[in-house]
Amino acid sequence: MPFVLRRIGFYIVAFCAAAVINFLIPRLMPGDPIDFMFAKAENTLPPEARAALLKTFGFAVGPLHEQFLAYLRSVFTWDLGYSVKFYPLTVSQVLGYALPWTVFLAGTSAILAFSVGSITGILAAWRRGGAFDSVASPLALAVQAIPAVVVALAALFVFGVALKWLPTGYAFDPKLDPGWSPQFIGSVAHSAIMPVVSLAFVHIGGYLVTMRNNMIGQLGEDHVVMGLAKGLSDRRVRYNYAARNALLPSVTAFALTIGSVMGGSLVTEVVFNYPGLGRTLYVAIVARDYPLIQGQLLVMTLAMLTANLAVDLAYVFLDPRLRRA
Amino acid sequence: MSGSFEVIFRNKKAVVGLAIVLAYVAIAVAAPWITEHAPMQRVGRPHQPPSMDQLLGTTRMGRDVFTQLIWGTRTSLFVGFLAGLIVTVIGVALGITAGYLGGWVDEVINFFTNIALVIPQLPLLLVIAAFVGQASPMVIALIIGLTSWAWGARVTRAQTMSLRRREFIEASELAGEPTWRMIAVELLPNLLSIIGFNFIGSVIYTIITEATLEFLGLGDPNAVSWGTMLYNAQTSSAIMIGAWWEVAAPASFIAVIGIGLSLINFAIDEISNPRLRTLGTVAKAAKAQRAIDRARVDATAPEA
Repeated sequence: MPFVLRRIGFYIVAFCAAAVINFLIPRLMPGDPIDFMFAKAENTLPPEARAALLKTFGFAVGPLHEQFLAYLRSVFTWDLGYSVKFYPLTVSQVLGYALPWTVFLAGTSAILAFSVGSITGILAAWRRGGAFDSVASPLALAVQAIPAVVVALAALFVFGVALKWLPTGYAFDPKLDPGWSPQFIGSVAHSAIMPVVSLAFVHIGGYLVTMRNNMIGQLGEDHVVMGLAKGLSDRRVRYNYAARNALLPSVTAFALTIGSVMGGSLVTEVVFNYPGLGRTLYVAIVARDYPLIQGQLLVMTLAMLTANLAVDLAYVFLDPRLRRA
Repeated sequence: MSGSFEVIFRNKKAVVGLAIVLAYVAIAVAAPWITEHAPMQRVGRPHQPPSMDQLLGTTRMGRDVFTQLIWGTRTSLFVGFLAGLIVTVIGVALGITAGYLGGWVDEVINFFTNIALVIPQLPLLLVIAAFVGQASPMVIALIIGLTSWAWGARVTRAQTMSLRRREFIEASELAGEPTWRMIAVELLPNLLSIIGFNFIGSVIYTIITEATLEFLGLGDPNAVSWGTMLYNAQTSSAIMIGAWWEVAAPASFIAVIGIGLSLINFAIDEISNPRLRTLGTVAKAAKAQRAIDRARVDATAPEA
């Protein structure tokens, strides 16, 4: 499958580019990154930890290319050094704890938004100008333009503070022991309702509009008319003839919005105090914990590239032309 | 030209969207005359609910929420339009260059565009803003403008490439038109709807992102904007103590300008792609056409 191989090659290059950007940002900024990052941690960090940090991050005094080589080594051995804020935990440990929560939160809401948005988009296009379309489409448009912060804060106030239906923060009841017990899973699900739904809510509108517009384009095509003329059921024409083709641009949109879902997840995690990557990044930025920030960016880029790869594979499945090419 | 205005005003979404955006512009321009206090002035006791004196209540610092909201409109619109302009100019320049010239130029530009598209935006912005330290709204506009051009470049490139194969372009090429004229006179007018779409989309994105960055505490805390209002509300736990007005005011203002701008974008989409118009519009147009036909028939019919 040359297509998939080509994409994988591109993602490897993209990851290297991200690593270079990650390396350059602190060096392009005014001020000394070392002072910057120790300004807040001066008292809590023992000198030997400071020396270790300097070493792993290639901040050691030396020519730029040596710093870069040292940095590359730390990236590819995944030895990202210690976190300043969570010392003595290493960056990999902190990220390893946070990653699953973000994958769970962002993944669930991306899939929720995609399915709900696409299905409602198909229905809106099928009865274009009908009652459902004239309510759902403008509504989708309005919803699409509302930022994740606003939705999250509104949900927090209405369902968390005013009505007290759902917990206002954290991923599970802190009184329970993490494990595969039914209570714990129930608590995780209960705490996830508000973050997942409020994060998905923002993106439903975009999928609805994209799907509706593509569907309308498809409905005028000959093969759809042919399907109807053959006397196939509406359902079959709608899903197997029109929607399957209309789905391709939506899948591209899905790949492009993974980034904004991660951005939205960042905000949602901060508002709901959810222990994922976004909140960790926030904490790291507030504490000027640079090793952690750098590690975060790498992991987030990696997550995004993986998601894009998954979408490429879905493309191969949806578009038979790519299987031969 | 008057014809294109007519096209715009016949679209209900465009009219509503334009009205909303113009209202915001008016508020931003008239800020000194609408408000009584300076935005950072203490006008009352902290966390006062809305009343006749303070229309939208006060913040923890005893500042008037209404005044801050009005002055914040200025900041947000300025940042949105500035960054939107930067994004559009970079995106259009790169997109047309890549799509029109093709070859290795296209390869290089397209490669960087694709990379910019897969690097997570918001985390990158956060990190840059954190290193700049207490970024002012102006700096935030620059950062967003310089990092968010990829989508516009890709879309403009695709459209330029499809235009490039049309006959009128090939004809003017054979006629020996210089490159600048090809781009400015033949290509740009045909790219206008995509450029407009890109610009307005970028303004929405910037307003939302600026508010998000400031909400997370990466902005200049002394700037007056919707984002810093949200940040101050969050740090003073306004929601937890029930001071909803501190959050509701900036949140609804952000939401409404977003809706107004995306209505315009939706209208651009509909005007440039008539298939997307809702049946109501189609039916209305058909009815108007029938009325015209009838008038014509009546006018030419012999007197009965």
